Amino acid sequence: MTMTSHAASVRFENVTKAYGAVVAVDRVSFTIEPGQLVTLLGPSGCGKTTTLRLIAGLEMATDGKIYIGENDVTKLPVTDRDVSMVFQSYALFPHMSVNENVGYGLKVSGVKKREAQERSQEALRLVGLSDLGERMPAALSGGQQQRVAVARALVLEPQVLLFDEPLSNLDAKLRRRVREEVREIQQNLGLTTVYVTHDQEEALAVSDRIVVMKNAAIAQEGTPRELYDNPADSFVADFIGDANIVEGTVLGSGGETANVRIGSLELELPCRSAAAGPAKIAIRPEAIRLSAGDHGAGMRGTVRKATYLGNHLEYTIETEIGQLFVSDPHVESPAAPGDAVAVQFERRGVTLISDQTGDTNGAPEPSAR
Amino acid sequence: MMTLHRSLRDERVWSFALVAPALLTVGLLFIYPLGFSAVSAFSAEEEGGWTFANFIKAFDLYSNDILFTVVIVSLSTVLIGVFAIAIGGYLTLGENLYAVAILKWLYRWPLFIPFIVAAQLMRTFLAKNGLMNNLIVGSGLLEPLQTQSFLDWRGIVITFVWKQTPFVALLVAGAMASLDRSMIESARNLGAGRLRILIEIILPQVRPTIVVALILSFVVMMSVLSVPIMINAQTPTMLTVDMAFRINAYGDYGVANALGFISYLMTGVVAWIYLRHGVRQGGSP
Repeated sequence: MTMTSHAASVRFENVTKAYGAVVAVDRVSFTIEPGQLVTLLGPSGCGKTTTLRLIAGLEMATDGKIYIGENDVTKLPVTDRDVSMVFQSYALFPHMSVNENVGYGLKVSGVKKREAQERSQEALRLVGLSDLGERMPAALSGGQQQRVAVARALVLEPQVLLFDEPLSNLDAKLRRRVREEVREIQQNLGLTTVYVTHDQEEALAVSDRIVVMKNAAIAQEGTPRELYDNPADSFVADFIGDANIVEGTVLGSGGETANVRIGSLELELPCRSAAAGPAKIAIRPEAIRLSAGDHGAGMRGTVRKATYLGNHLEYTIETEIGQLFVSDPHVESPAAPGDAVAVQFERRGVTLISDQTGDTNGAPEPSAR
Repeated sequence: MMTLHRSLRDERVWSFALVAPALLTVGLLFIYPLGFSAVSAFSAEEEGGWTFANFIKAFDLYSNDILFTVVIVSLSTVLIGVFAIAIGGYLTLGENLYAVAILKWLYRWPLFIPFIVAAQLMRTFLAKNGLMNNLIVGSGLLEPLQTQSFLDWRGIVITFVWKQTPFVALLVAGAMASLDRSMIESARNLGAGRLRILIEIILPQVRPTIVVALILSFVVMMSVLSVPIMINAQTPTMLTVDMAFRINAYGDYGVANALGFISYLMTGVVAWIYLRHGVRQGGSP
């Protein structure tokens, strides 16, 4: 017996969820294609988990429509949706063995005992726990419990699989391994998957597309690369990876590109509809090149902090445009605090951003590092 | 070496001095009366010496009441369990927030009403011409001649259930509320309905609390005198009434103590279950 995919699309049309006066999800619209893994990413309280729970049916939308495949499931109760969820705490039933946990959904669905056993075994084999079926959850490690939760969700062969911060209780190394396994299973089975996390690295690693949320609404949606290379605003630039948000001036634009002055440097950047005048620019830490001494080409700077991190160095550089956070892979010739350096920018990793929203809503502040 | 011995001895003396007031209180107020009553049950009052005469007399006169007590308290315990689980279950799984809030506010009221007041309240409610029958007659469901009094074994059970359900429900609802909420949501996500979640997911996890609450309730009901004496003093009645009668009417402490000892045995069985549960849970009972 092998697992089959019944992957379906998920469509939100102007969905709102309000708790009295508090709006948790505000007129959100997006479409997830069948077989895609889409991550809802954002800081705490941005509405990503509520959005996930709306898909599951654990919350009912106040307004708008939710479709799974072609079916309008907006008013459908949780028990009638073909959606399985892996919870942050795994939510395994502690009084049931691993086999009973995995087979519980099948038992509830009225699947015959023998078939349920076979399908549970298959799901456990998929997550590499075939031998642990008789164990109780308390006798498993965190990583194993997480896999049991995945197997329990997979065994129902749902149209949509949901993950609510599934790796947050695991240590860093295990997190990396498990996220790769989750991605592999998702791709092998072609499952439509919605994944919630506040960890941007995790989101970049596992997603086909990412929906960045802020203040109950979507801030930007796109592939990991689109979001990283072309953040729509300073919030997204800051949240997806690290970014130095600096002031600059658009000197003029000609078609696809614009001439931009950043301090004493002039660069040609993709235009992105920027008009001449003051502008904000997001500069990735790895897009900043440093050269020793203050006589080379580029902006003058002074090293304020230098941190060795094994495979790269992190610097805080004082410049005429403020402090810049720099990630430098050249560990063999480190600069020391107080050293004079020349600062230049690579073209990739420097982006003109529209900045209607100065509020970073709890996003990490690179200059504070 | 001498100093070490002396300091160990001092430590023991101080330890004993610290625990002595508590031991004395337990000994004087609990163990002594209990032991005295047990010894009296096996003593021949006039001739002296050990005897089973009190027990033989107790069984001759009150075997029906012993059985009646076991049945009444056991039935009440089962019903209390059912109602407490239903209340706890609705408080945990109920989706109508107003109904949950009202139930949460209402169900604890009987906790603050003494047994004797509860018994008096039930007398006026369950009598042939009581409030319950008046309501039924008033609503046209029964004719006045068709009504019957519930002031018998049913009245005792109803009063016990009414009085003790809130206590058990309080503990059970607390245990249910402390469960990881995502476990319930997970079961719903897997397709389980609320009744199924209550029976298959919640109850197995709060079972120790239910058992302990019901055992405590059982012991309390075994010791209540006011309810059986006010609701159903005729034969058969509960052992507490018989014990009071033996002492007040005949000054017969021997048979009263024998009946008391039989009560100990009944509560002893449930106490043993209680202690076993505590040990199995790995904590103090």
